Amino acid sequence: MNSGWQAKGQLSTNRPLCTPMQVFFFTCIVVLSVFALAQPAVGKTNDEAAGEKAPLVRFNAWGGSAQVNGYLQWVAEQVKNRFNIELQHVKLADTSDAVSRVLAEKASGNHNNGSVDLIWINGENFAAMKKHDLLSASWVGELDNFSLTNPDENPAVTTDFGEPTLGMEAPWGKASMVFYYRSAHLNTLGLMAPKTIEELLRFSQKSPGRFTYPVPSDYLGISFIKYAALGLNKDKRGLFYQPANDKALNAVLPSLWAYLDALHPTMWQQGKHMLRQASQLQRLVGTGELSMAFSFTAAEIPSAVTRFDLPDDVRTYVMQDGSLANVHFVGLTYNSKNKAAAKTVVNFLLSPQAQAKKQAVEVWGDDTVLDLESLSASDRALFVQDNIHPSALDKSQPTLLLAEPHSSWTDALREAWYERYGARY
Amino acid sequence: MFAQFTRFARWCLLLLLCIPVLAGLVGVAFPALGYFPAIGANSFSFDIFKTLFSLDDIWQMVWLSLFTGVGSTLLAMASAFLLLASFYQSNWLNKIQGLLSPFLVFPHAAAAIALLFVFSPSGIFARIAAVGTNSAIPGAGDAFFPYDAFFPYDSGGLSVLLALSLKELPFIILMALSVMSQPLVKSKLSSYIKVGTALGYSPAAIFFKLVMPTVFTQIRLPILAVLVFATSNVEIPLILGGNSPSTLAVAIMHWFNHIDLSMRLLASSAAVLQVAVSGLALLLLLGVERIVIYAGRKRLAKGNRRFFDRLVQCAAYSTVALYVALIGAVVYSVLMYSIAKQWLYPDLLPQGTTLLHWRIALETLATPLSNSLLLGILVSTSALGLVLFTLESEQLKPAGVNADRAFSVSLFLPLLVPGVAFLYGLVWFQQLVLQDAVWFHTYIAHMVYVVPYVFLSMAVAYRKFDIRYAMVAQSLGKTPWQVFYHIKLPSLFSAIMVAWALGLAISFSQYLPTLLASGGTIATITTEAVASVSGSSTRLTAVFVIIQAIMPLVGFVIAWYLPAALVKTGSKVRTSEKKSRAVLHGA
Repeated sequence: MNSGWQAKGQLSTNRPLCTPMQVFFFTCIVVLSVFALAQPAVGKTNDEAAGEKAPLVRFNAWGGSAQVNGYLQWVAEQVKNRFNIELQHVKLADTSDAVSRVLAEKASGNHNNGSVDLIWINGENFAAMKKHDLLSASWVGELDNFSLTNPDENPAVTTDFGEPTLGMEAPWGKASMVFYYRSAHLNTLGLMAPKTIEELLRFSQKSPGRFTYPVPSDYLGISFIKYAALGLNKDKRGLFYQPANDKALNAVLPSLWAYLDALHPTMWQQGKHMLRQASQLQRLVGTGELSMAFSFTAAEIPSAVTRFDLPDDVRTYVMQDGSLANVHFVGLTYNSKNKAAAKTVVNFLLSPQAQAKKQAVEVWGDDTVLDLESLSASDRALFVQDNIHPSALDKSQPTLLLAEPHSSWTDALREAWYERYGARY
Repeated sequence: MFAQFTRFARWCLLLLLCIPVLAGLVGVAFPALGYFPAIGANSFSFDIFKTLFSLDDIWQMVWLSLFTGVGSTLLAMASAFLLLASFYQSNWLNKIQGLLSPFLVFPHAAAAIALLFVFSPSGIFARIAAVGTNSAIPGAGDAFFPYDAFFPYDSGGLSVLLALSLKELPFIILMALSVMSQPLVKSKLSSYIKVGTALGYSPAAIFFKLVMPTVFTQIRLPILAVLVFATSNVEIPLILGGNSPSTLAVAIMHWFNHIDLSMRLLASSAAVLQVAVSGLALLLLLGVERIVIYAGRKRLAKGNRRFFDRLVQCAAYSTVALYVALIGAVVYSVLMYSIAKQWLYPDLLPQGTTLLHWRIALETLATPLSNSLLLGILVSTSALGLVLFTLESEQLKPAGVNADRAFSVSLFLPLLVPGVAFLYGLVWFQQLVLQDAVWFHTYIAHMVYVVPYVFLSMAVAYRKFDIRYAMVAQSLGKTPWQVFYHIKLPSLFSAIMVAWALGLAISFSQYLPTLLASGGTIATITTEAVASVSGSSTRLTAVFVIIQAIMPLVGFVIAWYLPAALVKTGSKVRTSEKKSRAVLHGA
């Protein structure tokens, strides 16, 4: 080799580079062999899942919140210690990615070896999964802790946006809509925080560009539309709790359109550009580009303040004309490989310990779905909290809760909105 | 023996590119024609296309894709050539290359977020503009950054166009420099330059009349790849673009992710349309090239010794200044956000620092980091091997014209089909075979994206390799393998390392391929980062942007300094050559 090289050495101007080349190839070979060795080790988690030892449960849940991620990490440690279950949080940017995946698996005939076990869903994703039979049915009743939610007395845990759950998904937490604002901004602007949907328009007219809402394909966006529709049609609320039809729509839409037509030009970016994702609302309030916004998890506001993602002049409150409220769920896919282990995990999620931990403001602050009346006194004590943060919602004030309209209203309102204001992608 | 092996590698590469993409295309074409049994659509028809073309905004979307894609590529090309024209003979070239490199290796998502950090009404530029005023509310009554400022989210697509060209320019410059540093081209160009100088042409005129025509034909292929990518990119228009309407690619992704699963049919047909739009963009750019050649030919022979010298200088310096300001602002705001406690508008400094967000991010990063490295190194190294052997087979036994053309087309396949569309089809295909081999699937999905770029980056250098060295060696009785290993690889070492680093960077930055092919079970830095972007914490996002920027940089630092360092220790004879190297070579 070397003699051959010398013969050519005179020809090449880059003679000394021979050694580096060999170094490079050597490095590559080392890297490749490291990979070859590492591959079985990495693959092991999957292989083991099929065996008896530490079954793997993949929980597909939105991963955009540090609190939720931290809580699920705690859950993973707990189920590992208690039940020897390997819980993997698959962090989704968008829950529909996982819905797509299950659908693709079904399309290709993968009926018992799915890659999604548990999935955190809300009404619309649930409706889609239910429609295409992507979820296991009637498994929730088997869970011991499900009875603690008092399902017979509490229809909210067995209906998801008016859609019966048929035991396809277990309730996990509860949320209601709250608004929050930068008190320093409002002082500078000389304005009070709006207390009703009508006041919100006057607020936005007086201080253009300080408020916006996400497009209705976002969960929080359509929730705002629902709140506006309910708030502007107080006399016709009954219509919202029956399936939507043209007549009902014609009755409620004119006031909604008049309102939004007036609101949009006063919004952030003059309403020409609207946010795609609700989480960006908090980001914009954090940077000061918006002065007020809303959320479905009251507890995320103070915890965002303690993490400096929101300034400390933020205050949280509930609109006087009502707060939209709903329950969110955990579904089990029809083609999950480890259904038994997945059910054990969900049963743990419904235990008083796990629910109390989740409700703690410093952890996540998501309201429990358990019926506190049906708990023992010691379990109930787990839920008591003190030290209210100045940015937190004052829960001592009475709140008028507005139930979610029948699920058909979601699509009806969204389609009507897009028809009127154009598709926003 | 070696020749047969290289031919085998060539076939492997072809199949690797074609099978996944064609499978993905089938997975898109069938639903586009109305066939998607999973949701009960069982008949073929053109109805979906009718629905697509009856949408109000569809032509506006197509226009935005074309405008931002073609516009940004033209802008980036123009600025790249202006920069080169001003600095190709100066020592500044190295500095400029170093300056632009961070933008090259920045993943698109991270770059878009970084631009949002500096340009938004509460960004660092707005804060600087607000110094001295006492407005505590960003955007309110501010002349420079009103709340309806044009930069992010403008409906005309200008902010997307600017962001795309900021990202493309470094890539074009790097490609041009790698061509100009090839021995054959280099010697040709330096004699051109001598002749030009002797005849009294100004440096800018020499560049545009003598250097550019030679260089441009060599980098046309990578530029076309950039163009297709720009017309179908999702991250930048998603993060910076307006949404009434958005570009076609964003709409496709939106439709694919739509809760109503039947929207997939529409998404698939739009994906087919996207292929046509990208094709049209290619034709437009080739048309522009024709016009420039036609118009240029007359000027070329006129004998004018100058070429807008002053203007070229000005434009080049302002481009550099823009990049310096931008990079400074981005680095400052991203670093500050990652450690900031409260940071109220219009303060230039946060009220305190904390490592809380770094801690939150790092706690979860060990596995994603090792996954990213493992995938990236494996993908990039094997892609490089395949590409080198393929290029070698081309030289050992040149394929026929038709085979060659077919090969180029298949190389462009993964760059022509928008990721969202063909990856969805690919996942469907992967579900049919080897369901459990997630690492294998992810590896393939990455390879599909990495191989073309490594090939494009490598081919320029490889095809311009002075074949006479190989001829002499062969005439002295060396086997093809010996020629390949002892002559070609050492001569091309720095180009090889750049291609390897590029492959690494591209593998690191893959979001959708990783997420879809692995079903989310293989978390990488990028999947974690994009998940954090959809979240609400500016500070956590800043941390992820930094980590995302550092990772590919490591690869490029190795690529740039390893050859140079090894050359320095290996040879002292070369010092005399250094000066001439500095003229054209980027390294």
